[in-house]
Amino acid sequence: MLFSLRELVQWLGFATFELFLHLGALLAFSVLVALHLDLQAMSWWLVFVPLFAADGLSTYFTAIVSIRLYQEGERRQAVLRLLWVLTVLSLKLVCEVLLCQKLAEQNQARDLWFGLIVSPLFILLQLLMIRACRVN
Amino acid sequence: MLVLKLDEKVHWNWFLIFLPVWIFDAILLLMLVVKMAGRCKPGYDPRNGSQDLRKKAWYLVAMLLKLAFCLTLCARLEQLTEIKLTIVCIPLWALLIGAMAELGYNIFPDRRD
Repeated sequence: MLFSLRELVQWLGFATFELFLHLGALLAFSVLVALHLDLQAMSWWLVFVPLFAADGLSTYFTAIVSIRLYQEGERRQAVLRLLWVLTVLSLKLVCEVLLCQKLAEQNQARDLWFGLIVSPLFILLQLLMIRACRVN
Repeated sequence: MLVLKLDEKVHWNWFLIFLPVWIFDAILLLMLVVKMAGRCKPGYDPRNGSQDLRKKAWYLVAMLLKLAFCLTLCARLEQLTEIKLTIVCIPLWALLIGAMAELGYNIFPDRRD
């Protein structure tokens, strides 16, 4: 719509397959959230499993791609890709874990306010804005 | 705005919290409609854009699905309606399945030709 797929891949630094993986995880997560809120069927930690699984698989995929790039002599590209993807995934994971903790233990986690939970996402958005300037 | 609302620092209406989303969606919808209407101009050659029109129609459907999801979610959060969250999420799921199908088509392109 606003971006072509090629521009999106270049901007986010993820491969198309990884985007597919994260979209699939988001779909499964939204189904589980709806089921949880309508039926109270499972714990919040179980609801977040698709997102954690997608982060893990994405890290594994990135490690393999970076190792192959390194072996083929593209050392700078391999290190930069690994650093960027690990930064994005770790910020996303911190936000997910904090949100899950807040939702699962609402009475015990009163000090954990939403501004704190979303702060990794704010950092991520800043990084993406800087990267958008660099890419185009 | 969302964080302020969730932390109960402000007590605004949910439709107001979603204001940036409405503005962004309105701009995108306007852009899409203008681009699609550009095909009706005299002198436009329709042979060079049948694939393009299909893509734009999908984008329009995707935007409408997103809008439907946000509107029903706001209505539910404001307790204007008592529908289940499973029903609220149906447009979002349709949108995600469509996006995954498009991405999948790009990952595994059709090799018939």
